[in-house]
Amino acid sequence: MSLKTPTRTTAAEARHPSNSAQGSHRPARALAVLKKNTSGLVVLIILSVLVVLPLGLVLLAAFSDSVPRPGSISLGGLTLSNLALLATPEAFGALVNSLMVGTGSALIALLIGAFLAFVCARSDAPWRKFIFFIGMAPMFIPALVGALAWSLLSSPSAGYINILLRDLGIDAAINIYSLPGLVFVLGIFYAPYAFLLLHSSLSMMNADLEEAATVHGAPLRTMLRTVTLPLALPAILGSAVLVFALTMENFPVAQVIGNPAGVDTLPTYIYRLMSATPAKSNQAASVAVILTVALMAVTVIQQRIINKRKFTTMTGKGNRPRQVPLRKLRWPFTLLAVGYFAVSVVLPMLALLTASMQATPFVSSISQLLEANSLSFAKLLEVLGSNDFQLALKNSVLVALIAAFAGTTLSFIASYVRYRTKSRTGRLIELVAMTPLAVPAIVMGIGLLWTWLLLPLPIYGTLAILAVACVAVFLPQGYRGVSASMLQMDQDLEDSAVMLGAGRARSVVDVTLPLMRVGITSSFLLFLMLSMRELSASIFLFTSNTRILSILVFDNFDNGQSQAAAAVSVLYCLVIGILAVIAQKAGGERKTKS
Amino acid sequence: MKISIQNLQLKYGSFTAIENLNLDIEDGEALVLLGQSGCGKTSTMRCIAGLEEPTSGRIIIDDIVVFDSEKGINLPPNKRNVGMVFQSYAVWPHMTVAQNVAYSLKRKKLATKEIDERVTEALTLVGLDQFAERGASLLSGGQMQRVALARSLVMRPSVLMLDEPLSNLDARLRDRLRVELREIQLKLGLTCVYVTHDQHEAFALADRIALLQGGRIVQMGAPRHMYEAPASASIAHFLGVSNIMECTEITAADGQTAARIAASDLTIHATQPPAQAALSPKVCIRAEDLQVTAAPTGSVNSWPGTVRVAGFQGNDVRYAVELEAGPELDVLGGLKRGEQHNVGDRVWVTVNAREVQILPAEVFA
Ligand SMILES: Nc1ncnc2c1ncn2[C@@H]1O[C@H](COP(=O)(O)OP(=O)(O)OP(=O)(O)O)[C@@H](O)[C@H]1O
Ligand SMILES: [Mg+2]
Repeated sequence: MSLKTPTRTTAAEARHPSNSAQGSHRPARALAVLKKNTSGLVVLIILSVLVVLPLGLVLLAAFSDSVPRPGSISLGGLTLSNLALLATPEAFGALVNSLMVGTGSALIALLIGAFLAFVCARSDAPWRKFIFFIGMAPMFIPALVGALAWSLLSSPSAGYINILLRDLGIDAAINIYSLPGLVFVLGIFYAPYAFLLLHSSLSMMNADLEEAATVHGAPLRTMLRTVTLPLALPAILGSAVLVFALTMENFPVAQVIGNPAGVDTLPTYIYRLMSATPAKSNQAASVAVILTVALMAVTVIQQRIINKRKFTTMTGKGNRPRQVPLRKLRWPFTLLAVGYFAVSVVLPMLALLTASMQATPFVSSISQLLEANSLSFAKLLEVLGSNDFQLALKNSVLVALIAAFAGTTLSFIASYVRYRTKSRTGRLIELVAMTPLAVPAIVMGIGLLWTWLLLPLPIYGTLAILAVACVAVFLPQGYRGVSASMLQMDQDLEDSAVMLGAGRARSVVDVTLPLMRVGITSSFLLFLMLSMRELSASIFLFTSNTRILSILVFDNFDNGQSQAAAAVSVLYCLVIGILAVIAQKAGGERKTKS
Repeated sequence: MKISIQNLQLKYGSFTAIENLNLDIEDGEALVLLGQSGCGKTSTMRCIAGLEEPTSGRIIIDDIVVFDSEKGINLPPNKRNVGMVFQSYAVWPHMTVAQNVAYSLKRKKLATKEIDERVTEALTLVGLDQFAERGASLLSGGQMQRVALARSLVMRPSVLMLDEPLSNLDARLRDRLRVELREIQLKLGLTCVYVTHDQHEAFALADRIALLQGGRIVQMGAPRHMYEAPASASIAHFLGVSNIMECTEITAADGQTAARIAASDLTIHATQPPAQAALSPKVCIRAEDLQVTAAPTGSVNSWPGTVRVAGFQGNDVRYAVELEAGPELDVLGGLKRGEQHNVGDRVWVTVNAREVQILPAEVFA
């Protein structure tokens, strides 16, 4: 791997520079410029195939009457007729639903996240460490699994909560299969994103600023309102917009909860168009373009807010920020946090476990579940031993590992070209690497499908294409992590190895990689965890031999086999939990070392 | 090894860090690049090392063209056999001290025994032989700097470049290493390029000093020459001349020059002929050339004033004397040589007309 290709000149050539003819200078220079940019151009080509080509094909399909296929890709069939679909009530309804879902769940997530962050970072409530765990824990439950669990808990006819209500003689039922239900589920499972952003903002806040306010005589309440809140405002806005973007493009939850209710959002509408027979691919593409444009707008806003945050907030130094005494509210607040934990983790997990263990498929009262022999591990063990599950597990882990390795490597090389060479391609590389942030995963999936049907490499139908999808979808997160860690490392460290006689590549291996170990492992683990959960892009790319765990859960649910879906979900969460613990261990080790 | 730099220019985007720099360094010479922070010292070094690609120009080391913008020649740093000690030390925290120092020898694939010997030798030279097995992240700033030095010396480069090699050491160690560096350089006949912004260090280490301002060499010469004849008031200021005054009018008569100081009633006499048509000339006098006495000395340059500040500095006392004619002067009075004065005393400040320099404000190379 030669990252920087220096112009080589032999000493003999160099000693007699006058030998070379005057006229040859210009080509020599052009060649030098080309060589300086070679690695950048290679990275740019890879990124283009990964990101730009898929997007281009979706865009092309949106304005064309045929799907891009080998041999049939042309600009001949250009048409605006697909756009007519956008004027239909269905499409318009899906758009409105998407916006409502995004807004509603962003509000819920923000409320929960802000509450937990405040209690955890700035109050004197008991169990604050546990509350931090509560704030993060739902992240380890894939949204698909969370949605499945909540449909088990409160589907109108057979949901456990509704059965319980009936047992108690209460004549009311919760119907999760509704727009509010969808908003609720998305809200609770995306609250951790708001929590993490706000928690870091609240705990890193420079205590001096607040103290200045109290020194000048402001009471606590006033200080919170006039100093703390404005300081946290960018983080509040930023996290709200982030959750809006994530939930608006969310496919699995909308499909599991919204579909039975007849509520379409843009992602589920796209999926429906794609899986119709015959597939209405061009219409799907035009809806995809709308969704992408919307997400891009939101992402641009979000990046603006986050960039501003750098300047307005706080240093990492200073003493610990002040704690707000809650007095009588200490325990109630903690209980409220525990209540969220019950709703987001405990109840869903219990529901999944029960569903996978119950002996009869139909339960008419909760007491029935308490009878002897009503629960058994038989189904779980059956699933665990089944070929389907074992293959999917193997596939998932393999895909995640390949994606993590390839994604981290690509992120490193892209960051290197951007920040360590003078290649003119650097800025463009960064832009392309960050683009998937503004592209819904489901759109990426469609684009990648068409791309790899088109390209002569026989990747379609293998696990490799799933790994490619994960790399493409999660590249922004990986790239950001690696480049941040590269920027923290003084370039002189690598340069001094070159001065001591090592080649560039050798210096990277000897110095840069070891010193960036922490950043690189974090990005690797991030890729790994995110890839383990991926569904939205993979759903267009798997074949019967390359099903991964998320697909297996989705398929089982889609076919009405909710017990199998629940059983796989339980095991799926277990696998993710184990990986998380390993990652945590690795992280802990790194901390003690540095 | 000889180094020749021709018409070097370096731009960062639209900002020009080095402008048309020409410099020849003789074999075995120690050249010091001296200048204010941000004037382009490190950039110049990085160009010679090959870490930075100049926008244009030519660099020849030991008769080999290592860089030529016109011919598209750019030899990579590891092919130039140039050693460099970085301003940031760049000692690798994930290795021990010995591993740091041995790195270049391992790249040359020397025998383990020879590596060990040379590493020990280099570490002894910088006084770190006790620390060989210590993790490099556990060292103090000064120790790191010495590791960086040893690491570069051990590879026996044909040219050694040092970017502020002594800046982080305590005064005693700095004095010792300054002498030792000079000894090593002379013994090995090393061609050395030092970067510093400390004029004392420059005077002690250099055969020749190149003074940089805003990416250009504004004056070059032997340390003594630089000290005695700075080319401009701003160079004089940088070399530690603390009394610099603007003058409005310069008259010359029978070998004497008289300069009238702006915004005051003061006239200062000099033996030096006035610089021809210099733009906004300034009078420059070193603090150590001024003398404070309780009584007038009868010299042409003897003015009454009052002591405003007297700062004890060990060997001498630094006075700020406000002249009755207006300006305040910075004076260094030797404790052993002269009298002592207290704040508020009325004193006379005298300077020999030969020590007074009248210089243009700036020169442009
Ligand atoms: N990578 C870069 N990009 C843009 N500007 C730069 C870069 N490196 C240096 N500069 C600018 O070039 C000028 C010269 O920098 P250089 O590092 O050579 O200064 P210096 O003389 O070594 O200063 P110091 O004594 O502070 O080390 C400075 O104004 C600096 O801001
Ligand atoms: Mg510097």
